[in-house]
Amino acid sequence: MASRSVSPGGALLRASRMFSMPAPLPPPAQEAAQATFRSHSDTATSAYPTHQVITTLSHARKEGDWGLKRPLPLRSTTKSSTPMLRIKGIDTIEQITDYTSGADHGLSLLKFQELGLPISTPSSRISSLSRSDSGARSVFDDDIDCTDIAAKDRAKLVDQRWRFSGPWLAGMSPGDFKKYLAEKVRPRRTAFRNFLKEKIARGLNETAKERALDRAEEEPPEVTVESILDEQVTEYLREVRNQNAILYQLVGEFLDLAPLKPPSDITSDQLMGNQRVTLAPDTRNPYAQHGPPKTHPSAGLSYIRTGAYMENHPVYGPQKEHKPVEARVLRPRSSQHHSAKLGIAGFVSESQAGDNIHNQKSGKSPLRHFDPELQGGAKLYVQPELASVDSDGKLRIKIKDSVDLEAELVARELIGEGEGLFGQQPKQVEEVSKETLRRHYSTKTSRGAQDYGISMDS
Amino acid sequence: MSKSLLPRALRLLQPRFYSSSSTTSSAPSLTRSPSQSSKPTTTTTRSPTSALSSLFAQDELSKPSGHMNSPLGSGTEAAEEVIKHQHRTEMYLRKHPRVWRDGDVYAPHDLSPAEAKKWRGVKAPKKDVIDMLGVNPLDNYRNFSMISEFMTPMGRIMHSKDTGLRPVNQRKMAKAIRRAIGLGIHPSVHRHPEVMKMRGRLITGI
Repeated sequence: MASRSVSPGGALLRASRMFSMPAPLPPPAQEAAQATFRSHSDTATSAYPTHQVITTLSHARKEGDWGLKRPLPLRSTTKSSTPMLRIKGIDTIEQITDYTSGADHGLSLLKFQELGLPISTPSSRISSLSRSDSGARSVFDDDIDCTDIAAKDRAKLVDQRWRFSGPWLAGMSPGDFKKYLAEKVRPRRTAFRNFLKEKIARGLNETAKERALDRAEEEPPEVTVESILDEQVTEYLREVRNQNAILYQLVGEFLDLAPLKPPSDITSDQLMGNQRVTLAPDTRNPYAQHGPPKTHPSAGLSYIRTGAYMENHPVYGPQKEHKPVEARVLRPRSSQHHSAKLGIAGFVSESQAGDNIHNQKSGKSPLRHFDPELQGGAKLYVQPELASVDSDGKLRIKIKDSVDLEAELVARELIGEGEGLFGQQPKQVEEVSKETLRRHYSTKTSRGAQDYGISMDS
Repeated sequence: MSKSLLPRALRLLQPRFYSSSSTTSSAPSLTRSPSQSSKPTTTTTRSPTSALSSLFAQDELSKPSGHMNSPLGSGTEAAEEVIKHQHRTEMYLRKHPRVWRDGDVYAPHDLSPAEAKKWRGVKAPKKDVIDMLGVNPLDNYRNFSMISEFMTPMGRIMHSKDTGLRPVNQRKMAKAIRRAIGLGIHPSVHRHPEVMKMRGRLITGI
């Protein structure tokens, strides 16, 4: 049907959140890479999903009913064991529903939630290469998880905020910065001068009050904003021009810029006594190093607030460590790359950079060498420690140095691989034929006489 | 759990690498193939010490024999093994040229050969690099690195489908190249030799 007249109630429902799919997000930005000659793939799984993933009940899936405008073809939507789809267009110009599988991100989310890791704020660099995890807090702590801040408190709470209306200057390319100056900053000159007038007025009033207190005099009349002349503002600007720190504070407050961490070269200059190079005071904001996050710091991946819970084993009792997880070795260590890349729960992470017994050059460690004879690829058990979402929207998982041997044995026993701690042998599970499996998961409801065990041959 | 278990486990710490196949059910180790796995058939429970010690004992026995038997030749054999493994690793990893970045998400599809093929080779950029840098190409006619970058090894101006520039910037860049060549400060049939030298391609001429 090309166009149908919709009742007012129907129009309201269509526009409501309950009956509409959220608008797709812009794809992850890989700006630097996309401007170079490096290879990139359109079909690679993106760092975060951009479309809503939908699912449906098993009985509805057999009919192709996904709650959309039309039923979807059964051959492509009923064969998978994970009923997850990503709808790119509910009704396109060709009068079809444009869909594709959403199991890549859907399953990654489920796998990550199975880890039971809370999401923490990034502490300088969440990577297995760094040793310190000081200052990593849950992103849901009340003082840092607040966006409803009054305009006058914004400057005071810079260290606790994650959302800023202005950009992060260190993350802007020069072209973007010039564009930002021309479009957003230049038109606001008069507003900035008024802002400075308020600051000057406040400063003058405060100094006058203090002087009056010191000399035990009466409080002088307050200086109003209107009484301050433009020349005073210009004079103040001339004074402040050479004091970068104060100027940066003023500009940052006015434009609501995200806090910056001064680069290490400048701090060494500071040590030599070059005061002019001071850019900004030391900020405690965890996002000063790499920029504020694009979305809520948790990115909706996990709502657990802490990892301080004890895992209880049905046989061995409370466990000291959380359950270690099987990780895939994606790329072994080499002379160019000092740490192997591991895949945990569908997310790429790094192994330890240093030399240890597990990644020696000699021997057949999969952290160092690729072994094509290993069935299903090289995997090893690791213990994830911290997880945080960085400013690109990517999830960074930090792994512990080594896995507790007993914890690994217990984890393997739980999934039926290997001996238990007390030498228990794993259960022998009989192999189920493919035919039986196919029959079990098929969408056909009855097979006729065969269901009753009556074969047509006899 | 007995106290003797912990010290022993830590003393005999061995890497525990294995495949995910269900056939190797007891103490799998790299150096032992599935056919050789000597799984005990008794179902009686043993003490924790003996269970763990059996795992380590099997591993020690299955170490390569050259390691212990020939002290003179072990050095060269070990070195040869290392070189062999390194070579094999390089050869196989060439088939998966994707550079994995921290935080990337991967699904089984990303490890397939079809996807791996897409990451091979050099591709034309998708974004305009001149817009990103905010420079005026015409003011950079003396910047030989930039001029040589937008020129083919034969000295021809690159097409916009290879440079990824939008039409305005492509024209400005082409004009800057023609200006540099016209002034005689940049070669017309190859890239600038200083630039080639910097990139280590003076001999190949690319």
